[in-house]
Amino acid sequence: MMRPSQIPRIAAIFFVVAFLPLVTSADSTAETIPADHLEFFEKHVRPLLAKRCFGCHGGTQAQGGLSLATAAGWKQGGDSGPAIVPGRPEESLLIDAIAYRSMEMPPADEGGQMPAAEIAVLTKWVTMGAPDPRSGDGAIGGMTVAEARDWWSFQPLPADTAFASRDIDALLEREWNARHLAPTPPADRRTLIRRATFDLTGLPPTAAETRDFLADESPDAFARVVDRLLASPHYGVRWGRRWLDVVRYADTAGENTDRPLPHAWRYRNWVFEAFQRDTPFDQFAGMQIAGDLLTKNQPTPRHAEGIVATGYLAIARRFGHDIDKDIHLMHEDAIDNLGKSFLGLSVACARCHDHKYDPINADDYYALYGIFESTRFAFPGCEPKGQPQNLVPLIPQAEVDAMMRPWRERRDRDTRILRERAEATNRVFSTEARQATHVVQTGDVAEGASVELAPARLEIRKGEVVLVAVEPNGSHGADTTLVEMRIREAAGAHREWSTADIIHTLTESNPRTIAEATWSFIELTRDGPAFLAEKADSIGGNGALKKWSLGDTPSVLVNSADQQVMAWTTLPAESFFVHPGPNRPVAIAWTSPLDGEITIEGRVADVHPTALDGVTYRFEHIASPATGLALVEAGRMLAQSAPVLETPPAIPVAYAVVDRELAKNACIQERGDPEKIGDEVPRRWLAAFGGDEVTTSSESGRRELAAWITGHPLFARVIVNRVWGWHFGRGIVASANDFGARGEPPTHPELLDRLAVAFVSDGFRIKSLHRLVMHTDAYQRASATPVEEDPDNRWLAHFSRRRLEAEELRDSLLMVSGRIDLSFAEAHPFPSEETWKFTQHRPFNAVYETNRRSAFLMVQRQQRHPFLALFDGADPNASTPVRPTTTVPTQALYFMNDSFFHEQAAALATRLTEIADDELRTTHVFQSLFQRNPTDAERNRVHRVLSAYQVDAKGQWAAICRILLSSNEFLTVE
Amino acid sequence: MRSICGTRRGLLRSATAGSLLFPGIIESLWADSGDLIAPRQPHFPVRAKNIIFLFMTGGVSHVDTFDPKPELARRHGQQIDVNHPEIKGRPGYERIYLKRPQWEFHPHGRCGTRVSSLFPCVAGCVDDIAVIRSMHTSHSNHYNATLGMHTGSFAFARPSIGSWVTYGLGTLNRNLPGFVVIAPHQTYAGTQVYANDFLPGTHQGTLVVPGKEPVANVAPRVSAERQRIELETLREFNEDHLSERRADPLLTARLQTFETAFGMQMAVPDAFDFARETAGTLAAYGLQRGQTDGFGWQCLAARRLVERGVRFVELIDTGSANNWDAHGNMLTHEPLAKNVDQPIAALLKDLKQRGMLEETLVVWTTEFGRTPFNNTADAKGREHHPWAFSSWLAGGGVKPGIVHGATDEIGLRAVDRPVHVRDFHATILHLMGFDHERLTYRHAGLDFRLTGVEPAHVVRDLLA
Repeated sequence: MMRPSQIPRIAAIFFVVAFLPLVTSADSTAETIPADHLEFFEKHVRPLLAKRCFGCHGGTQAQGGLSLATAAGWKQGGDSGPAIVPGRPEESLLIDAIAYRSMEMPPADEGGQMPAAEIAVLTKWVTMGAPDPRSGDGAIGGMTVAEARDWWSFQPLPADTAFASRDIDALLEREWNARHLAPTPPADRRTLIRRATFDLTGLPPTAAETRDFLADESPDAFARVVDRLLASPHYGVRWGRRWLDVVRYADTAGENTDRPLPHAWRYRNWVFEAFQRDTPFDQFAGMQIAGDLLTKNQPTPRHAEGIVATGYLAIARRFGHDIDKDIHLMHEDAIDNLGKSFLGLSVACARCHDHKYDPINADDYYALYGIFESTRFAFPGCEPKGQPQNLVPLIPQAEVDAMMRPWRERRDRDTRILRERAEATNRVFSTEARQATHVVQTGDVAEGASVELAPARLEIRKGEVVLVAVEPNGSHGADTTLVEMRIREAAGAHREWSTADIIHTLTESNPRTIAEATWSFIELTRDGPAFLAEKADSIGGNGALKKWSLGDTPSVLVNSADQQVMAWTTLPAESFFVHPGPNRPVAIAWTSPLDGEITIEGRVADVHPTALDGVTYRFEHIASPATGLALVEAGRMLAQSAPVLETPPAIPVAYAVVDRELAKNACIQERGDPEKIGDEVPRRWLAAFGGDEVTTSSESGRRELAAWITGHPLFARVIVNRVWGWHFGRGIVASANDFGARGEPPTHPELLDRLAVAFVSDGFRIKSLHRLVMHTDAYQRASATPVEEDPDNRWLAHFSRRRLEAEELRDSLLMVSGRIDLSFAEAHPFPSEETWKFTQHRPFNAVYETNRRSAFLMVQRQQRHPFLALFDGADPNASTPVRPTTTVPTQALYFMNDSFFHEQAAALATRLTEIADDELRTTHVFQSLFQRNPTDAERNRVHRVLSAYQVDAKGQWAAICRILLSSNEFLTVE
Repeated sequence: MRSICGTRRGLLRSATAGSLLFPGIIESLWADSGDLIAPRQPHFPVRAKNIIFLFMTGGVSHVDTFDPKPELARRHGQQIDVNHPEIKGRPGYERIYLKRPQWEFHPHGRCGTRVSSLFPCVAGCVDDIAVIRSMHTSHSNHYNATLGMHTGSFAFARPSIGSWVTYGLGTLNRNLPGFVVIAPHQTYAGTQVYANDFLPGTHQGTLVVPGKEPVANVAPRVSAERQRIELETLREFNEDHLSERRADPLLTARLQTFETAFGMQMAVPDAFDFARETAGTLAAYGLQRGQTDGFGWQCLAARRLVERGVRFVELIDTGSANNWDAHGNMLTHEPLAKNVDQPIAALLKDLKQRGMLEETLVVWTTEFGRTPFNNTADAKGREHHPWAFSSWLAGGGVKPGIVHGATDEIGLRAVDRPVHVRDFHATILHLMGFDHERLTYRHAGLDFRLTGVEPAHVVRDLLA
């Protein structure tokens, strides 16, 4: 049985008068009421009615049929007749009741009898003639109170009576005679197993499954097929995907950079698993709305599941550049989807104004808005606000801390080491060093030019430094610049050091000590020298080219080959080069091992003329012995590999929601403009459905919302209609997301209600509903082309033929090619969060290939997936209650020329060629694609193609497979 | 001239559709009442039959291109105080100063419309152009403003204007899509700008990326002879299948699509094969023979598509990066203008010379303008500016050689006869023969239209 709707509490309904425009503004009655009477009503009566009566007699679900919310309400009265006889308090039931005579109102459990003064007010009012300006009809949104009360889809479900598949058939049959419709005969068995297998699993039946069914002559053969399919691990993916259509699941946020949602997959997989387990649908819905709250005190795995389920709310579309500025649009998207998915109502239409057709006011919208505003949604990141935040951990905080603490300790230690390294380099070019620096010479090297250093003679001390720095003119990346440097001891042993010495051993170390002198390869930064720390023992695959660099540039490099190398430019044999970066000079620094006089000569040459501005070189002597030693020391220290800051431990998190610390009501946004703030609205249920308020003051109200929704008769009606529509191609209510005034009326209202009752009494089990529906004759009838009397097949005298959906098509191709991977996918291979630099100029955009089922394809909001878009996949931005079927030439081009399609056909052909001969191959391919044997004409046709194709068997059969996989028979479910 | 076009289309049709695999059956299939792409009459007779929609991505500065503001030059450096969406609460923008236009304006043509030196070639066509100097829009973000300019919606996914036009008019050539978007890169808001959304899938924009294979899956993977065998055999299988299933439109329509697709394999490359264009034509568009990219290529391709009956061709000049979004330096407008100026002028002249301009509405626009101010007097760039920008129309039913509307003397606000994006859309639909309030589609229980729920007005002054 349907759960009884909650009885409205008295205090909860106070707002009806305060906020709900139940009174239409153009009210002729008001004009005819004397001003003093009107004042009396507004000052004394209206507040009193609100305070004492509306708890049970406001809104549309008035107790005992009596509403005191409008004049019409008390005039019509309730079950006991009109409540007031104007001018005659003694004859008025209202006065009788508040005086506790034949009735006692308000009853004891709603506050008990009113004080005498209040009774006097109402009595005086009735004596005055009960002047009441509140419009005769009253209205909520686009309906009068009476219309809303009587609207078909809001009615309680009928009483539970036995209901079986044959009762469905009887209800359908009733409609045929008047419409001159005759039912088609039962479908043949191969049609039936193909239909049921695609329907329940989204995959074609295997040849063995077909064979078994055809051979099974027992009367319950089909029922057993249905049971087998419902138990199949592929069922959950198929029906879960249908639910994902409704909730407009996507793997990106949809804001201006469309960033990935790396954790949304948990919700996706939870949906698949929930369908697989046949989770009662009221639980399934409740978990999505308030799973975090409903599982609060349950064991960790169950609580984690509850959190993951609220991914339903978190995947609401995000809008704009700074999504916090457009957060009202996210809330609208969440409310819109909630209303459509669970209630078949377009609640979000009331964002800017009262609903034009359905009984939903702007107050209702902002009542729900407050619930969501009191909820903290995971933040996907956005261009101005960086990376994701508020992802919800799936393990208790203590465990999170236990994982994070050691990491934090290691991170602190490594940060300290990095700081010390930075300080070491800073020490090198100290003030002392700067003061001791003499520029020996400096000059420009024009594009393509070679400049000899003027020979220099220097007095030097051990530890002092001689360096040549090269810097681009302008801010571009400059050029590959050849540098030669020869340093000779002027007296004594006449030892010599040369850049030529390092050409063959460049990458052994940096700094590099040869014959006691040390060469350092550094970038000169404002903060000191930065050693070129990244080593490459080959460049572009050429092992003769080696380099030290920081990123691409700056770098030093050598061509160690004895001949020139043609790379990005011609690199002369056995040469040493530097390559500065934009505004990043490179230097080679030589630290002296001797005290005495040295001579220096050399050459700087641009070897990559590119019509830029050439380079500048600077030849310096740093006459400070401490500098060279500090440089070498820093270099050695830096050569120890630097600690790499560890990424934080992967805490399992969900893209989900939790309650905010402080729950609060929202204010109306006038005309939907968040900057025009109106009155506050309590968080509550739709007024037309009783308007109960959120009672748990410390929570957002999602817990109550879940109960209100799942307890309303619309909830069961809407989901049984969806399931029916997914089986038959058309719902009993064709507008599956709209059970309101603009929706389609039900073709079979009684059937819808009986299904809903059966579903509820069976514990909201979708799999039971499948059995109920699939065991009917209607489901097992032959398909046919629609007839003129019933072009949309509303009356189901035959089964509706349909094209495979996008996922079914792709999965079928992968199935028959043998390439399908039927395992569950988890996270998509998104780039890691630390690397995200998405902007609206460069939004995230990717298509990931996979051989897994198509329900696991990565779906973006801003860029449609090319395959899913081509074959009418679900809209990732808005709820898709029914997949449309378009037939466009670009689909035909897919079958003719797409590489994925051709690959699957070729793979199938390869499998076929493992079979002995063409006859058997033909039989096999027809069985696996169409679940039947080929006719003679078809065999001949295959032979004709085989003989026309003078290629090997794989090539011939690839052609056959392309033809058959493109055929209407492959693409159609009968 | 119309008859020449008609004849050419006829020829093209017979050159492709006529040579196809299964003549006979197809014509009967086309007669289906459910045919979504059959040519349809608009609400009232008009000259325009096609649109070429030129979209300059990133926000073109109006005061540097089509909206001369001598007063802005005079008041350069003057501090002003406005409550502008791009500076509100933005650090460093506590004070703003007017910034002078950086290019000279001169009168052009008989009409004397003033255009800046950024567009010397388009300036030569002003006698065919109606410039709108009082455009304004509802959002200062690229994403939202670009979505708005294309769909009328500044936040939600909705059908593109190209989808609405093809939905209204059907197509004139079944071997080509009715709505083609030629773009080197995606613009802001991605594929949403040319998506059909809830309109039938046949009205989605087909993306053409300049290069060797402009449309996906058009290049055959098997030889023509083998493809013929495969498609003929497929037809036999499908006809057998159909013969057991009394005329199901779902199945017959699918046969038809293979026919059309086969035609597209020839018609698409043919449309993009410029081999028969004269050296003079190629030179006018600034193209080298054999070149398969560049805005000149896009413009010439647009003419050839329109010639072949494509209803709506959108050309996107750049993409969501490296575009007109000149925050850093207005001088980046120079290469961007140079990239499009000559090809656009060539397109207008080419259409005119071939008698096609009368039937083709050419729209030039961007998503918003750029601020006439910045946070320092010598800032090099300009910011996003939704309050005013310039667009222009030419051809099919447009009053030529006029300027409509004006901004205030510093180009800050559209003050004289302002044209919101909604009005712009209403006017474009009017020029195509539609009452924008009647070109609607029922979706999710509501009647949707391009111009949305807020009032939109046809700008009568722009009509010839």
